[in-house]
Amino acid sequence: MDYENLARKYLDLAQLVVEKATQKGALAEAFVSAGENLDIEVREQEVEVLTLAQESGLGLRILWDGRVGFAYTTDFSASALDETIEQALANARRATPDECNCLPGPQEYPYLDLFDPEIEARPLTSKIELAKEMEREARAFDPRVKITESCSYFDRRYVIALANSQGVAATYWGAYCGASIFVVATDGEESQTGFGMATSLRLAELDPAKIGREGALRAVRLLGAKRVNTQRAPVIFDPYVMASFLRVIAPALAADSVQKGKSLFRGKVGQRVASPVVHIIDDGRMPGGVASAPFDGEGVATGKTVLVEEGILRGFLHNTYTAAKEGVRSTGNGARGSFKSTPEVGTTNFYLAAGRCSPEELIKEVPRGLYVTDVLGMHTANPISGDFSVGVVGMWIEGGEFKAPVRGVAIAGNLINLLNSIEAVGNDLTFYGSTGAPTVRISNMSISGM
Amino acid sequence: MLLAPDDLKVILEAALEGGGDFAEVFLERRQTTVIGCEDNKIERVHSGLDQGAGIRVLKGEDTVYGYTNELTRDGLLELARKLGRAAGGKGNNKPEIEWQRPKPNWDFQVKKRPDEIPVEEKVALVQRANEAARAVDQRIVQVSVSYGDIIQEVTIANSEGILVEDERVRCRFVVNAVASDGKIIQTGYESIGGLIGFELFEENDPVELARKAAERAVRMLEARPAPAGRMTVVMAGEAGGTMIHEACGHGLEADLVQKKLSVYAGKKGQQVASPLITVIDDATLPGKYGSFRFDDEGQPGQRTVLIKDGILVDYMYDYLTARKEGRRSTGNGRRESYRDRPIPRMTNTFIAPGKDDPQAIIRETKKGLLVKRMGGGQVNTTNGDFVFDVAEGYLIENGEIGPLVRGATLTGNGPEVLKMVDRVGSDLGFSLGTCGKDGQGVPVGDAQPTIRIPEMVVGGILDEEENP
Repeated sequence: MDYENLARKYLDLAQLVVEKATQKGALAEAFVSAGENLDIEVREQEVEVLTLAQESGLGLRILWDGRVGFAYTTDFSASALDETIEQALANARRATPDECNCLPGPQEYPYLDLFDPEIEARPLTSKIELAKEMEREARAFDPRVKITESCSYFDRRYVIALANSQGVAATYWGAYCGASIFVVATDGEESQTGFGMATSLRLAELDPAKIGREGALRAVRLLGAKRVNTQRAPVIFDPYVMASFLRVIAPALAADSVQKGKSLFRGKVGQRVASPVVHIIDDGRMPGGVASAPFDGEGVATGKTVLVEEGILRGFLHNTYTAAKEGVRSTGNGARGSFKSTPEVGTTNFYLAAGRCSPEELIKEVPRGLYVTDVLGMHTANPISGDFSVGVVGMWIEGGEFKAPVRGVAIAGNLINLLNSIEAVGNDLTFYGSTGAPTVRISNMSISGM
Repeated sequence: MLLAPDDLKVILEAALEGGGDFAEVFLERRQTTVIGCEDNKIERVHSGLDQGAGIRVLKGEDTVYGYTNELTRDGLLELARKLGRAAGGKGNNKPEIEWQRPKPNWDFQVKKRPDEIPVEEKVALVQRANEAARAVDQRIVQVSVSYGDIIQEVTIANSEGILVEDERVRCRFVVNAVASDGKIIQTGYESIGGLIGFELFEENDPVELARKAAERAVRMLEARPAPAGRMTVVMAGEAGGTMIHEACGHGLEADLVQKKLSVYAGKKGQQVASPLITVIDDATLPGKYGSFRFDDEGQPGQRTVLIKDGILVDYMYDYLTARKEGRRSTGNGRRESYRDRPIPRMTNTFIAPGKDDPQAIIRETKKGLLVKRMGGGQVNTTNGDFVFDVAEGYLIENGEIGPLVRGATLTGNGPEVLKMVDRVGSDLGFSLGTCGKDGQGVPVGDAQPTIRIPEMVVGGILDEEENP
């Protein structure tokens, strides 16, 4: 694709729609995204599913008399665009006015290197080979790895164009890629699953051998897993598990949740909300971050926001609306899921900062406890109340060493207690998509088993 | 029809030029409306048009899939050729396409099309629900109400001559109430929806729904943390069907079975549950969220008995998994949108009602946990381990419903739990949800009668003092 040309074409389109909507007496913002997707699924060294796709869409936000209306379309014909404008205007008329609704003006954006030409240039056969290598490595790791649940490579190449009636007219383009494997290890009647995954802005950084072996290791070491007794004990989360918990915590750090009384952190800025080893950061322009972009979904420059520093809550994530409501500046976190949604407060590259200890040291210091490697039912955790109770699998630790695999148990608690009970943070910060965490040790948790 | 039948024929032929043995075009035009109220404000009035086409070419067991927003004959021809080449193979397979138009096994009429209802009326409904929820108690600190409707027009055509046009209309209404006593926050959630028009709200009052959600949020403030460990669990019919969806539904999807990723693989004809258990998947239930006339491959929706009196009878199939076994699809080939290839999915899945009086089941339980409302869940189909969230649960003490508890998850193993069931009630309660699999979300209904499981792991909280 000729990204520069496409970007110009879509920016023209966005500006045209904004101009038409403005003529009807409204403030307007048009967001266009377009891209090409490739997905390869391999099983038993054969390509099982190959998906090639192209898509584009436009989302139009209208501000009329302090009221917001929104409509989107994938049809760029003149009549469909006119219809979208009419729809957005009609929708705005039904919304409640709010003087904090506003659109940002033009600003300076950082230059970020988001496009690795290799992602586009590398031939399909070589990407298929990458996926196959992942599967071979997983199988070779241990003969008990017998079934491939899925083994896939994907990449996305995209163009974003954004224009509004306040003078914002900007574009960027980028690409990212990822690979993952889910395998099953079997021993007699027993089956256990494991996964490995990575996402990157650079194709060369995807290491198929490492991903394959990780998937195999995670499955194989769970063979023979049993329940443990119901008890309280120290618990260690591996980076994947901690990143999963961070995703549940994230909405509570968004200013809209706070302003609506739905956040555990409401009214706690400047107070201790976590143990002193906890630092939580959102960085929209992090080098190499898959969520990095020069500007957010409404044209505000991205930035780095320290949310929790040494356990003290420093602030929240904002878009222009929540910022206007509080008289602060947007942190550049007006996130769009796609052209189909308005910019809501959301995270970019969101992570728990690395500590000093190696994961091995964190384990060595535990006399009896649970090392958690996967969670079942994470989406049932309640980000508003903070209550969670999830199924877990992992390894039982005794005398600082893995003793036996564990399954069929649940851990429960509240996110606030969890953050306060983190006693040590590992040095192995790992990103899963745009959320990252290192290994962490929690001093004490409820484990439900036999 | 989103494209003329003759054009579809040309596109299907082009897709098979490379040597594929099956081609399919799925055209979709989806119009949605979402109205959201939070903070006492109508924050969100969104509408949209998403249209596109997905083309699939099969060669043996391999799939090549592509999609585009461009719904023109030329655009689709180009995509079809590209996919056909990628599918590989030798020679030009030129199918003789004779259109057949399958008849559905059931039919329904939308009484009130949502696109003919003025937006004001939808907004008013949302506002009424918001006010009702807030009026329940002073401790209600936030209410979020959302209304959504979807009109999905599809045209499905394949190289075997299936040609189906269909329109699916769905409405949904969700209330989320947040209560706080200044120290803790709790939530209450209720939703209704179905393959139904605006008449949904004649049969179900959104105001009642809002009150129910708000009352639960307030009640949960008084709840004590759930206990931890193994105990008898009674699941009320009104609790919804998440358990059956997770404990066995996913494991009976033919793709997972064929890939040996299901604990139920190779168990057809065997006892996999208590003789009291019959499990059915039924796309033909009027108005339910998982219902449809045709699945996303043009196969008529049907009722499939999966487990009869504890014996595994059948799995759920789509076209590809059925073809692998030389049998017919069970009409379970579904996809989230034109962006996704169809895979075997549940529709409305339920445990058939039994003979016991639901009240008697509780009365005859000495000690345990009564699940009055289930939340979400997840399963590892490979070994059958599952969890689901208890949104509202009570301790049972000597056959009486005791104190309310919060923060519980039930953990179990599908086949183990289903074999243990010792009581099945005569009631049946439905819930609805969006089921996720392979990154695709589809609307489903789940239901079950009141059932009792002698022993499950409850993932609750242990007091600091108790240290066994």
